[in-house]
Amino acid sequence: MKRGFFVLSLIFIYQFFLFADISVESYVDKTKVGINDQIKLTIEFTGENANKIRTPDISKIRGFTNLGSSSSSSSNIVIVNGKMERTVTKSFTYKLQPQKEGTFLIPPINVRYKKQNLTTAPFRITVVEESQEPAPPTSNKFNRNEKKQSDKLTDNLFLIAEVDNRNVYKDEPITVNYRLYTKYDISNLSFAGEPNFNKFWKENIFTPSKIKFTRTNYNGMLFNTMLMRSVALFPSDTGNLIVPSLELLVDIRTKPASFFDFGSVKRYTIKSKSVGVKVKELPIENRPQNFSGAVGNFNFSSKISDTEIKVGDSFTYTLEIRGTGNIKHFDMPVLPELQHLRFIDPEVSIKINDNKISGTKTIKYLVIAQEKGSFTIPSISFSFFDTNQKKYITKKTRSFTINVAESDLSYIPSSSAQTLVQREGSDIGFIIKDTTLLTHIIYFNNFFYWLIWFLVLLSIPISLIYMKEQEKLSGNIDYLRQKKALKILKKYMKKATEYSRTNNVDFYYAIQTGLSSYLADKLRINRGSSAEIILSEIKHKNLSEDLYEKIQDIFDKCNQARFMPGGFSEDNIKKDYVLLKETVSEISKVKF
Amino acid sequence: MKKQIIILLLIFIYGNILVSISQVEEVFSRGIEAFEEKEYSEALEYFLIIENEGISTPDLYYNIGNCYFRINEIGKSILYFKKALRINSNHKPSFRNLKYVLTFTKDKQSEKESDIIAVAWDRIINTFSLNVSAVLTLFLFCLIIIFINLTILKYRNREKTVPLFIISVLSFIFIIFFLISFLKWTDSYKNNEAVLISSTAIGYSGPDEEFTRVFTIHEGMIFKVEKNEDNWSLIKLPNGLGGWIKTAHFEFVSS
Repeated sequence: MKRGFFVLSLIFIYQFFLFADISVESYVDKTKVGINDQIKLTIEFTGENANKIRTPDISKIRGFTNLGSSSSSSSNIVIVNGKMERTVTKSFTYKLQPQKEGTFLIPPINVRYKKQNLTTAPFRITVVEESQEPAPPTSNKFNRNEKKQSDKLTDNLFLIAEVDNRNVYKDEPITVNYRLYTKYDISNLSFAGEPNFNKFWKENIFTPSKIKFTRTNYNGMLFNTMLMRSVALFPSDTGNLIVPSLELLVDIRTKPASFFDFGSVKRYTIKSKSVGVKVKELPIENRPQNFSGAVGNFNFSSKISDTEIKVGDSFTYTLEIRGTGNIKHFDMPVLPELQHLRFIDPEVSIKINDNKISGTKTIKYLVIAQEKGSFTIPSISFSFFDTNQKKYITKKTRSFTINVAESDLSYIPSSSAQTLVQREGSDIGFIIKDTTLLTHIIYFNNFFYWLIWFLVLLSIPISLIYMKEQEKLSGNIDYLRQKKALKILKKYMKKATEYSRTNNVDFYYAIQTGLSSYLADKLRINRGSSAEIILSEIKHKNLSEDLYEKIQDIFDKCNQARFMPGGFSEDNIKKDYVLLKETVSEISKVKF
Repeated sequence: MKKQIIILLLIFIYGNILVSISQVEEVFSRGIEAFEEKEYSEALEYFLIIENEGISTPDLYYNIGNCYFRINEIGKSILYFKKALRINSNHKPSFRNLKYVLTFTKDKQSEKESDIIAVAWDRIINTFSLNVSAVLTLFLFCLIIIFINLTILKYRNREKTVPLFIISVLSFIFIIFFLISFLKWTDSYKNNEAVLISSTAIGYSGPDEEFTRVFTIHEGMIFKVEKNEDNWSLIKLPNGLGGWIKTAHFEFVSS
């Protein structure tokens, strides 16, 4: 049993290997091709499981462009002596377009299938300029009168890039026309791609929208011709620049060979030859300051709508540049700042003709007169490089004088032109230039600040004390008298001093009254009290004997001089005055 | 004799002060000249000399801030505008410039609280500078004292309602002003506000680089410093985020 199982499994394994066997074969339709032709590369797999093979990778092939691939498969079943054999063929077909002339090797192509390495054989392909394919017969229309008729495709179908000027200055426009010449019946045309206009500004002038040929004579032969593309180019670099070639896909209808043949359409790729252009830098010498890159030939003019206006009225001021050149690619001349005339932001319009290299650039300013007077819009200059004369040319507009008269209106209707002042930028404020450079004192930390507080506060107790004194004075007459006593004494002393100088008897009267009223006030007794009463009162006070006697002595002397006849003598006055002074100074020191 | 010596001494000291002031003014005007010739770093040097002389006025700080802004040191610029405003919170030029310069920082600064009362209080506080409110307080105090004295002296035997009313109203205003001054005064001694002066700083959860990264702040950020430890400081960002950054990265507004 075990042995039988083993044999069976061997058979299965054998079968598996047998079926897995796949062979590969590859071939091309031709080994010598023209650069505009295509080759077909076919890779064919044969085997039981060929269907399961994936599309081989042909990215290793150099020098060719893969235009697309297709695959097909077929299977074949043969039964021989009751044994069935099944063969599957899978083929992949690639369309390859050569990229350049030369000899190229199509390398072996590897395909792996279930540990089996399948490799195709390599082969060489030679690419030549001439098409190796038989050219299709040319259109009937051209066959009649021509004697020398070339059968070559390149003689009968070509694309020419016509450049109007091959030696230009930078920014000087050139026009390139791509023109197709053919003798074939063409059923369809399409662009293979957009050429890369490096180092040029490009403006499209013309691209056809439908196929329309015209007959023309080219080198003595008749051709159908059609303008495929027209561009204006402005070189942005100097040196030898290359105008790129245009690539076209052309479908040519072949003639039917028989009644049953309707003819077929074959596709060809054609390319124009690239054209070199020499671009020179604009000369530096004599270049005007206001040159802003205009190259070509231009006219510069200015227009004004009105020169006699009133305040608040507006007029238009127009600058116009008309001509041929890089009209889109330069800056407009700058208008100088003018006072009293308000230029509203201009309206710039560019009108380019169909040829893209000539046109008109217009700048229209709306100007509002803001003040009365006569103002001049100065002449404005515009410089460009003239490619014909090969030098810089500066053109000037004429200047205008505008007379602005007083407006009849009482106000200037400027509100339409007035706008709020716009912020044009922001920045930090400017530095402070004048300042006193003293260290900032914080008053709260300053001694004098608090001293003022203290002094101000001190005024309250002062006024309170003052008030108390006032109250004492007004509430107590005796106190008042005591306070005023000295004043009265001084008054009488003054009088006494005067009298003593003139030796007047009234001297004694003055000192008696003064002294007695002073003492009375101090002792708080009646003013009119006699000397005896005063003296007896003084006795109770603590007075020195000496002073008491002096006071008594003065009073006695006064009585003597006033009431006793002959008691007054001029000699005594001087002596008594000295005594009085001594006494008074002593009394005033006494506290009663 | 003694009197004469004292007078001579006074004249001498006063003269010295005058000389140094005129020297400082010379340096200042050179700074202005340099600034006007767009030699900003030279102007900055002059102004910094004056600052090192111990002179601190809002105008000087304002100029220094301007110089720093011109040489693209946004952090320092903000620092000096803040310094000017710390001395005089009512210094309008500094306020305007600070607002402008703050738009150049990478981090958005905190927005003021939209609370009406807080805004009103802020406005009242910032209407007067510390010194102006100190002077106003003193003036009100004098007024009150004058009225009290008048009441004592002239209204001894009269009805005292009117003067007492005036005094109480004045006292009320006086107390408000005194409070404002006092708050501003204590505020000026709170020196925990700082500005980031290096271009970036990373905040960690602890005073070492091995702790978790909490945030990254950029030059010109204003924040409060809560704690210092060795070379690290715990800071609190306006949005409430806290973290430790190296002390070398920032400078205090009050120095």
